[in-house]
Amino acid sequence: MSFDDSKRYFIDRRLAERIAATGSGSFQSYFAMLRSDADHEIEHLVNAFTVNETYFYREDHQLRCMTAHLLGDLLRRKPDREAIRIWSIPCSTGEEPYSIAMWLMENWSEVDKYNIEIVASDIDTRALKAAAEGVYGARALMRLSHDMIERYFARIDEAQVRIDPGLRESVQFTRANLIDGQDMARYRDFDIVFCRNVLIYFDDASRRIAAENLYDCLRPGGYICLGHSETMSRISPLFSVCRFPEAIVYQRPEATDDGK
Amino acid sequence: MTESERPVAGAKARILVVDDSSLVRLYCRDVLEKAGFEVEQAINGIEAMEKVLEQTFDLVIVDVNMPRMDGFSFIRVLRGSASHVATLPALVVTTEAGPHDREEARAAGANFYLMKPVSESDLLRHVAVLTGAPQ
Repeated sequence: MSFDDSKRYFIDRRLAERIAATGSGSFQSYFAMLRSDADHEIEHLVNAFTVNETYFYREDHQLRCMTAHLLGDLLRRKPDREAIRIWSIPCSTGEEPYSIAMWLMENWSEVDKYNIEIVASDIDTRALKAAAEGVYGARALMRLSHDMIERYFARIDEAQVRIDPGLRESVQFTRANLIDGQDMARYRDFDIVFCRNVLIYFDDASRRIAAENLYDCLRPGGYICLGHSETMSRISPLFSVCRFPEAIVYQRPEATDDGK
Repeated sequence: MTESERPVAGAKARILVVDDSSLVRLYCRDVLEKAGFEVEQAINGIEAMEKVLEQTFDLVIVDVNMPRMDGFSFIRVLRGSASHVATLPALVVTTEAGPHDREEARAAGANFYLMKPVSESDLLRHVAVLTGAPQ
């Protein structure tokens, strides 16, 4: 993640908070701590800058679009037995990747015919830990029916439920930074990427880098879904716009000049 | 509100952004300052309440889900207050999207409700309407 100059004041303030929280006393000693990676302070600093506030089946019109149009189109072009690869980045505390898995099981009759891989990544290790634990309260579940909650969760107590172990196993969680080229080079051959509600918080340069990285992570012809207030056309010319009745999504063109 | 407290015409409108996420506050602040507004921040309803009682604002932009005091409680307290802050316009900005949230926002006394994340143009358009700033 990177910030432009107008955001400096704020970063200084967040830094000051971390310097105080770690008892470093000064920026110099805090910086020394960062460099030695003592107590994983870099992670704490990153975690101080991320938004973790979401719920199951958020913007489900895109999930509907996936089963109504995207999968059918992808499968027409896909070699036999090649896995369908779906990536949720940033996945925050897991609601999105688990929603994708649940949606496919509930709404796609062909779900058992294919090998589906769901990868979920975030820069925030605290969020990833929570995602893997899969414990949720009423707020995260507000859009799910009583039946769905019964089917995919086990009750812990009055206030909390835990995700079904089978569903938990269907998602692979990893740490990744959208604007780190080396990080992103580990992720390739995705058919659908959900990258929602994060690019809006980046500055223009970081947004473009992230979009270019995501382009390379997609298979030719693969799709990317952004948040409801985000538009790829303002970020990068690499993708084509696909207007479906349920949602606008973006596609890495099937054939490119460089033969990719 | 007395005459001296009323914002002077042509002066920069002052906006309080209330959200527990630093990234969201930072984003709103950047968008609003670039458009010429003066921005103050608070991390929950309690801190927001302290600020609106101490300072003068033309609009408050409020998240719903926050620790200590959530956005709806904050607006209810604001509307129930006997002081000039009772009529302060409130724009709710939240990830919640259900029809109940919209109703609850209206019932709490919010003037408008937007779904997070809000694009720059949507935010500025609604802020302009609620502050009476030229668009």
